[in-house]
Formats: sequence, structure tokens, C-alpha cells
Amino acid sequence: MSFINLVELKNFNVFPEYFIGISALYILVIAVLISYNVYGLLIQKALSECVGLLLLLACYLLLNGYLEVSGAISVPYSTLGFSRFMITDYFAFSAKFVVCFFSALYFFIIAGFLKDYKLTSFEYLFIGLLAVLGLMLLCSSNDLLTAYLSIELISLSSYILAAFKKNSAYSAEAGIKYLITGAISSAFFLFGSSFIYAYSGTVNITDLWLITYHENWLVSGAKSNLLEPLLEIGLAFVLFSLFIKLALAPFHVWSLDVYEGSPTISTFFFAVITKLSFFVFLTRLTYMGAFGSFEVWQGYGVVIALSSVFVGSFGGLCQRKLKTLLAYSSVSHMGYALLAFSAGSRFSAEMLFFYLVIYMLSGLGVWFIVLATQVKQKRYTDKFNKELGDLVLLRRSNPALAIALMLTMFSIAGIPPLIGFFAKMGVFLSVLQAKNYLVAMLAILCSVVSTFYYLRIIKVLFFENLLVGRLYQPLTSLKTFLFSASIVSLIFFFVNPTFLCLIIYKIVLCSFV
Amino acid sequence: MFTKIHKFIYLLAMLSANLLFYFFSFVLLFSAIMVIVASHSVFSLLFLVLSFVVSAFLLFMLECEFLALIFVVVYVGAIAVLFLFAVMMLDAKASNLSRNLFRYLPVGLIFALSFLISVLYSIGFSWVSSENTHTHSFHVNWYDLIDSGIDLDVYGQVLYSYFVLQFLVVGLILLVVLIGVVYLTNTYTSNKTVDQSSFKQLSASSKFFY
Repeated sequence: MSFINLVELKNFNVFPEYFIGISALYILVIAVLISYNVYGLLIQKALSECVGLLLLLACYLLLNGYLEVSGAISVPYSTLGFSRFMITDYFAFSAKFVVCFFSALYFFIIAGFLKDYKLTSFEYLFIGLLAVLGLMLLCSSNDLLTAYLSIELISLSSYILAAFKKNSAYSAEAGIKYLITGAISSAFFLFGSSFIYAYSGTVNITDLWLITYHENWLVSGAKSNLLEPLLEIGLAFVLFSLFIKLALAPFHVWSLDVYEGSPTISTFFFAVITKLSFFVFLTRLTYMGAFGSFEVWQGYGVVIALSSVFVGSFGGLCQRKLKTLLAYSSVSHMGYALLAFSAGSRFSAEMLFFYLVIYMLSGLGVWFIVLATQVKQKRYTDKFNKELGDLVLLRRSNPALAIALMLTMFSIAGIPPLIGFFAKMGVFLSVLQAKNYLVAMLAILCSVVSTFYYLRIIKVLFFENLLVGRLYQPLTSLKTFLFSASIVSLIFFFVNPTFLCLIIYKIVLCSFV
Repeated sequence: MFTKIHKFIYLLAMLSANLLFYFFSFVLLFSAIMVIVASHSVFSLLFLVLSFVVSAFLLFMLECEFLALIFVVVYVGAIAVLFLFAVMMLDAKASNLSRNLFRYLPVGLIFALSFLISVLYSIGFSWVSSENTHTHSFHVNWYDLIDSGIDLDVYGQVLYSYFVLQFLVVGLILLVVLIGVVYLTNTYTSNKTVDQSSFKQLSASSKFFY
């Protein structure tokens, strides 16, 4: 690489990330200067909206970026920058755009709730912004080392977000549990990376693709399958560490306690925002890097996906706590996404991305309602976390909110007049296309079972004959606007899914060979 | 004749290097196991120090002098000693561990065995490298002979040119951890700044040091 190549601006393909990183540092300096004298000055609402605007600007930067056709590298439309450590193709662009857009919405939504949930210090927003930065870096990392560092950035921020409520023992417990599981996951990731390095001599995904695609590229003459177990076991360790991060079923146990214990705003972040980037990296690693050992990761994917769909469906059946119920729901949703992932075709990559976008959209609605239902007159001794029974008579006190919750629940369960139906149907179609008929049937049966607890929430909302319920605080106009936009989009995308589908079709067509 | 002697000496050198490597790896394994098994937490921390030192030796054998020294300075000099102080001050009871050991041992053993078997399967159950793989290293590494910069020099050159993005990300990680730790450990109940009162610490009935 010559000097001119080193400084060429074309290869500087992380411009939005630089923007976010530098503005995070600005935010740190300014917030420290503002709250230097008076600690606990309430700047969190303005700051949160400011962070949301920053992320929207980053979305604009992402839309402005363009790709040129590069030569003989695996992906036609991509730019490999920073000495091939960062890849930017349409997949990375769109995933970063989705992450940025939804986290901007997240910051707009939580702006009004930070004071009520007593998370008033500005460090919360700063750390959240850096977590979003880590998510964006993970979307375009083309290298196990870069991916490891961005995963560490995400998870270290997440531990702090989980443990942020200092006066709550549950929050501290959630933080410690998250830390320990995350440390184990990181150790496995590094261990697996070392095996992959031992197999191929590289941790770069594009190079790995070259090595595994051309079978005797590495060892001319010698049998390359002598070293095949090294790649397989390394891949297994890396995949399992990513599965731990995604809270898929045999590794999901931490997520229940962490989701229940950490403050609800942080749980919102873990459950909705963080999932997409891990899947993007997973797809990049397997669909590009290790497509040669397709059978290996497809086997893991199918088994883990089925077990997490099973656990997510049956575990939530007798769960009365709302956040744990949503954690189980998240486990089963990640299972469906992994099911689409494990089919291993281009269509399944489309359906995976489609499913995750819809998951984030409906998750935004659900967690918004969980945040928004605050009891009007709250004693200090009341617990913060909700149970299902607390939602009784919401149809009387706030009928719009109740109907909206019903619609999102139907969408998550996959009932037709809403977009969740198409998302789930796409997953099953991609599994059927891969001729995994038994897997598809079992997953559909589990999906039917999981409809039970979504319907139970609706039953609690509308068909309980109780006279005593709770009164909830009214919503402000900004919150109402954001909220109704997310609900309307659930119906809009059902009526007109072509918009989303065509974009995703083009993305996947341009990104995978 | 010459080539045979040459090869013999070469093999001897490689064997001794391998012997040292195996020796240090076994000491490392032993001390890593003892970290978990040791009944008293101070002992397990001392074994942790031993494992750091031994892994520094291993790094020396791989000719990463700078990393080895950093290992000793940072892990042994700072972190492990800090841990030791903390453990000595906390005075943790060791009785809980032995009670829980037999409850968790079978599960841990199953996991450990499954991982061991799969890893051994992948590296092929053999301790000596076979002839036909590319992993066996009888070749002369010409780059070592031609381009011999200092360890630190190489790190600097690579870190600030090729790994510049990763370097920045590591800085951000450290910043996040720093701010998180400051936030989580700080209590803003009183507005007084924290200052050191040395006469209090030095007095005989001090609660800080005893």
C-alpha cells in the first residue's frame, strides 16, 4: 500500500462514526462545564433531544455516502477502508441507518421519561451515545478484532446502563450478572478467533472468504481438510459468544434477570436497539467469511433457533412480570430471526433483515407503552416494575393507549392485518425454501403457543371485570406524535410492504455474492 | 556430514525451546487451575500473579519482549497487587467456597470435558506437528533476519498506521469505563470535596489502616 492509498479519502469510510464520536466528546465537555457547579442540574431532557438530533444528522450523513464499484474483492459494491478492517457496502449502510434512526427515536422517546425514572445525570446519555457508536462500528467491521472491540464498547456501555440506578439493589445485580456473562462471551470470542487465525492466518473476513472459497488456495497440494476442524471449532466458539450476546435460548438465562432488574429505559435499549448489529456481523461472518463451512453454522443455527423459539414460547406462559415476559418474547423473536439466518440463502438474508427491522419497529411501540404507563400518584414504596395485572382498566383510563398496545401485541404475535404477519411469514417461507419442513412446522407450532401470552395481555386489557384499576399519567404531545407514528407505520407497512421489501431486496442483492 | 550435524543441533535447539514451552504452559495451566481451586482468596491471587508471570515468560519465548514486560508491569505490578490489597482489606470468608464446590463441580466438569474433547479433536490429539501440514515450522523466517526492528518500534509503526481505528476505539472504551466507574462509585450526597487527612490515617486508632 502506497502512501497515496493510505490517505485517500475514499477509504475513510467511517465518517458518520467519526461524527458521532467527536460529538460525544463535545457533549461530555459541555455537559461537564454546565453542571460543574450545580451537580444534578436537570439538563437531561434537552441533552437527550440533542443526542437524538445528532443521530438524525448521522442518518443524513449515511444517506449521503455513496459506493463505487471496486474490483476483484468479494463484494462488488463495497469500500474496504482502514487497511481492509472496515467494510462499507449497502448492507452496512442500511443497517447503520436503521440503527441510527431507531436510536434517534429512542433518545427522543426517553427524553421525557428520564426525570420520572430518576436517571437525571448526563452520563447516561453519553454512555448510551457511545453504545450506539459501538453498534454502528460493529455493522461495518470486516475483521474479528474490530468486531471484538466494538462488541466490547457496546457491552461495557451496557453494563453501566444496566447498573445505572445506584440506589436499587436489583439494578446493581443486573449489572454484575450482565458483566459476568459478557466477560465469558468475550473470552469465547477471543478463543474462537485464535482458532480461526490458526486455520487461516487471518482474522479478516474478506481474506477468510478468499481462503475458504478457493479450497486449495492455502495449502497447495496438501489436503486442506486436515485443518478443517480448526475452522469449525473456532467458528463454533465465535458463534456461541455472539449467541450469548443475542440471548438465544440455551444462553438466555442472564437476559431474564438483567431485563427485569435494570432500569426500564436501559432495558428498552438492550431489547430493541442492540440486536440488529450483532445479526449484521453474524451474517457478514458466515454468509461471506465462512460460507465454505455452511453445514456447520447452519446446524448450530437451526438447533439454537428451535430451542430459543421453544423456550421463548413456553417460558412466558406462566410469567406475570411484564418485563420478564417481554424478555421471553425477545428470546423467541431472536429465535425466529436466527431461523431465517440459518436457511442460508439470499432470500433468507432479506427476510432476516426485514424481520429485524419490523422487530425494532414493534419493540419501539411496546416498550414505549411500558415506559408511558406511569402511575399518577406514586408512593415511594411502590415498586417500579409492572406486572400484567397493573394494566387492568387501561381501556377506561387511556383507551388510545390500550388500543395501541393491542395493535402492537397483535403485530408481534403475527396476526394478519399488521406487519408482524409478513415478517413471520417471510421467516417461515425462507425456512421452507431451504426444505427444512420439520423445523418450519415445529417453529409454527411454537409460534401458535406464544400467541397465548400476547393474547393474555389483550385479555387483561379489555376483558377483565374489575372496578378498581390504576390511573396513569397523560402523555405529552411529542410522545403522542412519536407513538402514533410507530403504530401507524405498523399498519402502513402491512398495506404497502413493497417499499421496505424492495429496498431490502436491493441491499441484499448488492451485498452478497 | 555437515548438514546432519547442523540439522541435529537445530533439532536440539528446537526441542529445548519446545521443552521450555511445554514446561511454562504446564505451570501456567497448573496455576490457572489453582486460582480456582485454592481455598483462600489470597492464595488464589498469588497463583494469579504466578500465571501472569509465566505467561510473560511465554511471551518472551515468542520474542514479544515489550508485551511480556507490559504484562509484568501492568498485570502483576498494578492489577494483581491492587486485588491483593482489596482482598486483604475485605477479609473474605473462605468457608462458602468449599461448600459450593461439590454442587457446581459436576456441571463444570461436564462443560470442561466437552470443551477439552472438542478442542483436542480439532488439533488432532497429537503433540508433535506432523510433516505435511503448513503449520510445521522448519523454514527460516527471512524477515526476521532482514528486517529486525525493535519490538516497541514495530508496535508503534503498526498501531498508528494500520490499527488507527482500533486504537481510537480502545480509547473510547477506556473513556466509557472511566466515566462509568466514576459515576457508579461517586456519591453526591455532600458537596464537600474529598481530601486526605493524613493525621487521621497515621493515628493509632485509625479505621483506614490497621
